[in-house]
Amino acid sequence: MAGKITIYFTVNGEKETRTVNHGLGLLKFIREELKLTGTKEGCEAGECGACMVLLDGEAVNSCVVLAAELDGKDLVTIEGLAKNGELDRVQQAFIDHSAFQCGYCTPGMIISARALLNRNPSPGDKEISEALSGNLCRCGAYVEIRQAVRACVKK
Amino acid sequence: MSLKYVGTSLPRKDAIEKVTGSAKFLEDLFIGPLLYAKIKRSNVAHAIIKSIDTKMAENYPGVKAVVTGKDFPNRIGLYLIDRNFFAVDKVRFYGEPVAAVAAVTEEAAAAAVELIEVEYEELPAVFDPRDAMRPDAPLIHDELCHYEVVPVFYPKTCTNIANHFKLRKGDVEKGFAEADMVLERNYFVPHIQHVSIETHKAAAMWGLDGRLTIWSTAQSPSAVRQLLAKSLGMPLHKIRIISNYIGGGFGGKAGATMEGLVIPLAKKCPGYVVRIVFTREEDIQGTFVRQALYSRLKTGVRKDGRITALEYEMIWDGGAYAEYGVNIVRAAGYSSTGAYAIANVKTDSYCVYTNNPVGGPLRGFGMCEMQWGIERQMDEMAGTLNIDPLRLRLINGMKDGSTTASGQTVKHVAFDQCLKVVAEAVEYGKKSGKYRGKGIAGMVKAPAQPSNASSSAIIRLNEDGTIHLLIGSTEMGQGTLTALQQITAEALNIPPEKIELRMPDTDFTPYEWQSVGSRTIYSCGNAVLKAARDVKDQLYALAGPALGVPEDELELNDTEVRWIKDHSKFIKLAELANSFKKAGGEGISGPIIGRGSWVPTTLSNLNPETGQGNPGLFWTFGATAAEVEIDPETGTINLLQLASVLDAGQAINPQLCKAQLNGGAIMGLGTALYEELKLDRGRVLNHNYADYKIPTIENVPDINCFVLETAEEGGPFGARGVGEPPMIGVAPAIASAVANAIGVEFNTFPITPERILQALQEKANKPVL
Amino acid sequence: MRNFEYRKCTSLSEVTGLLCGESVFLLAGGTDLLVGMRGGKYSPRMILDIKDIPELKVLREDEAGITIGAAVTLNRVERFQPVARHVPVLAKACHSVGSFSIRNRATLAGNICNASPAADTAAALYCLGAMVNIAGPGGERYLAIEEFFTGPGKTALENGELVVSVLIAKPYPAGKGVYYKASRTGSVDLATVGVAVQKRDDGIRIAVSAAAPTPVRVKAVERAVSGGMTDWNAAAALVKDDIIPITDLRGSREYRCHLAEALIRRGLAEIMEV
Repeated sequence: MAGKITIYFTVNGEKETRTVNHGLGLLKFIREELKLTGTKEGCEAGECGACMVLLDGEAVNSCVVLAAELDGKDLVTIEGLAKNGELDRVQQAFIDHSAFQCGYCTPGMIISARALLNRNPSPGDKEISEALSGNLCRCGAYVEIRQAVRACVKK
Repeated sequence: MSLKYVGTSLPRKDAIEKVTGSAKFLEDLFIGPLLYAKIKRSNVAHAIIKSIDTKMAENYPGVKAVVTGKDFPNRIGLYLIDRNFFAVDKVRFYGEPVAAVAAVTEEAAAAAVELIEVEYEELPAVFDPRDAMRPDAPLIHDELCHYEVVPVFYPKTCTNIANHFKLRKGDVEKGFAEADMVLERNYFVPHIQHVSIETHKAAAMWGLDGRLTIWSTAQSPSAVRQLLAKSLGMPLHKIRIISNYIGGGFGGKAGATMEGLVIPLAKKCPGYVVRIVFTREEDIQGTFVRQALYSRLKTGVRKDGRITALEYEMIWDGGAYAEYGVNIVRAAGYSSTGAYAIANVKTDSYCVYTNNPVGGPLRGFGMCEMQWGIERQMDEMAGTLNIDPLRLRLINGMKDGSTTASGQTVKHVAFDQCLKVVAEAVEYGKKSGKYRGKGIAGMVKAPAQPSNASSSAIIRLNEDGTIHLLIGSTEMGQGTLTALQQITAEALNIPPEKIELRMPDTDFTPYEWQSVGSRTIYSCGNAVLKAARDVKDQLYALAGPALGVPEDELELNDTEVRWIKDHSKFIKLAELANSFKKAGGEGISGPIIGRGSWVPTTLSNLNPETGQGNPGLFWTFGATAAEVEIDPETGTINLLQLASVLDAGQAINPQLCKAQLNGGAIMGLGTALYEELKLDRGRVLNHNYADYKIPTIENVPDINCFVLETAEEGGPFGARGVGEPPMIGVAPAIASAVANAIGVEFNTFPITPERILQALQEKANKPVL
Repeated sequence: MRNFEYRKCTSLSEVTGLLCGESVFLLAGGTDLLVGMRGGKYSPRMILDIKDIPELKVLREDEAGITIGAAVTLNRVERFQPVARHVPVLAKACHSVGSFSIRNRATLAGNICNASPAADTAAALYCLGAMVNIAGPGGERYLAIEEFFTGPGKTALENGELVVSVLIAKPYPAGKGVYYKASRTGSVDLATVGVAVQKRDDGIRIAVSAAAPTPVRVKAVERAVSGGMTDWNAAAALVKDDIIPITDLRGSREYRCHLAEALIRRGLAEIMEV
């Protein structure tokens, strides 16, 4: 029988405690328990990147992580990027360059871009593409997305 | 005409919502009390259902309802009512819904579904439409003659032919006789899938008062309402369809695809919201696929490059149900000369039932599949005639006053310019390396819709002069909301920031036939213009007498209605909008509500024998050019550059137009190089992103986009639709580039490294792979 | 997610004690396990999270060589200076697995324990003569990587055993090493065929993945080249002796044969003609 586990973590800067079923996936936990619905489900198989979040600062596909693994970790979702009503630089760049269409892949895409720029403020095109290689966009906004991330590169 | 708001790259209206993750898609709503639905699907492609045992499922803890086709034998269909929500007596495709469970948790529903036992008696199945056309083929729909059908489609009783579209223009025999060369080829275009990142989702609540509320990822809420009303035998006002942002549609969410799965469950659980979220695998196997096409194209051409005759036989794999697919077949038929003006045309386009997944609309609606053959044959003809492929296209390309295959005259055509723009962009004709090549392809599309497909719009002028625009069109990424906001702004001369509009809810927003076919800007845009005109008429009827000036000498300028001859004579808009009254206090007018209702008046039915008539609301032309480099050792294709153009008439929002060019190009690229459904007796083997590969950002170079603006006479500010055309020319342009690089002509795609290698080996007469 | 018990283990002995039980699975990155669970491939009764066990987090270089703990992610392996500098073939192979975000979770040990015949890291590890450090109820042992894979999805791990680390022993190969991955898209994809070619002081090593039930060394080619053959075409053609590819969704048998040959030829040209 599935037991429960208590996890202690921070989410978008706030300390939290929750008790979760062992079998609960992190994506479902984020959406249904934490009620943060910005992170999306697209494939449940780690292929599309719509579920991307930052776990201890690294971009990960939350659909292949268990909620239990969140214990002791720092979680950042798309909702945690804007601060004090001000959009994150990447978010603003996505608006300025119209780097989205339907918007479903967008939270995951922005998370991956934010992780990249945190890691390396001046990535070249190849590194940008690699960092976002796990984020599928069927609308095909890749050209604009690349332009948006380029605009955030530190000269 | 100097424009203020139309023609600017206004930031998208949904921008902040989407970049912050606060944009609500269906699964983000907390509606309840919620029950989770799971579907029992067939594991055979063609079989009689002998029995379904749901006892164990019904008794599983947490299960609130179980339904089968026997509970709900209703059929639904947009053009041909042939499709069951749930299989009733037999299943016709692998993965067809046979039963469904609603439970308090997703796990319970999934577990209960496993406990449903279905006994099948397999029937002989058919997976190739050419086999399905044979007289001895197993009949997939023996009731075909009894199905209700829109009378512009022609099913053949007692066959698997759901529609045979015939087109006869001019005299092909004479045309072929005039030709100096006749080329005949077979082409095959495989099934592909939309794979929008958001899968299909729906939720239903059946109130005890008999009202049905549906939340759906559908592209066309009015159509869903209409189709469900017909299928359920309910009045329209008792069905409510609520739309949220759609995570990609591309036609896959057109019509009414799967809402019916939760409705019977909801009926058994009144007051509950029953929600279904398709898994990626269900989405790929169990929703509309793009029909595969087996075609034979024969063209006759004179030495001077003028094409004299075209004969096209298209056999489409309609899959198990053809309620939507019949129209793709028709549209391909009446567009069957592509972007070229040909006097003598004979086309037969067949929609054929098979036991493959259900065929339906996918961006291009038959154009990508049909124009593949046209463009490939153009190249081959050019090679044989020793005429440059670009020149051959310029010779035969449509111009102002040309007629289409169905005899419709096209106007405001800049196809020549389209070809030249992209040719120049890639320096077409200049080979830049041994295994490098450049290719070009043209494209054209008109919306495929009924001749009276209409739109409507309501403008509510708020008391302070701001606006609510109510429309039935949906936003699935194309930028509809933003573009319609700009059209409204331009028409009223009120800034876009003052105009609010949201996704439709059929209880509040007016009718829109469908958000498909690249028709929204044109059709809904025209309805919006009429609503704006109505608002101004009402305002001027009040302001004229109040100011003592003629009504036709007034203009609206943001916050004022003023006399054009002397701006100091004005009334504040807010005053007119806020229950305008006389100086003495008597009320003159209540709230201002603008009504716009638009229907095309220029379209006609097509002659059943000749296919002649006017089906196209407008024709959007474009072109694509590509440069590739082939690795001859591995067959790998490297896309060096891609240039794409379309003639938007008037770009309502240039940035969003380019976004469609880029997006369509990338989708076209995926189909050109990677995408095809691998089917084994109707079962999709590559039913996830691991094996159905679509482009990632790494696969896409920066694309050179161009937007031409040759005004479309009937379009709002001269605009015509742009959503689908950018995909059409990409695969043939890449094939054309591959041919230029290595001298191999592909008649099918995707053009994979393995196929390239095989072709190279065949060419060198080496042992075939 | 179904019913299983999740345990975060803090020591090796805790793991080996529990691992003998029925349907107990190890969780490192989870990118294979969680996907497999969803597809019904795995039905764990218990999942042991091993990411916090000190011995498994090790990533170091010392006199022995480079030790990569079982919990170390592919991105960390790729970025580890000694790997990038001394055995870049491994960095390249790690880089080619999945997508960037997957590599933030997926581990090198997980890649070999999953034992897909197409495992990218395997071909590189074969060329480097890697040793797998295994712990179990019977104690610790080292196993050569070439003995680790026993069939598609199967390893030489006995009941109760787990991989503790992978050792790339010194001396490192002095020469150049390359890893070529042929795939359908050239972006995020499984290998249709993967080829690693590594020049060493004692000759040359060539390994191929996705062309046999396990990754394989192509010794026929190695022998020819070590024996002095300089016609790379002829040498590469000998690959047919050592691979038995199949036809599947990603490619045909014939295409895989051809690819293996072409990529070996290319690899030889690149690393031998310096």
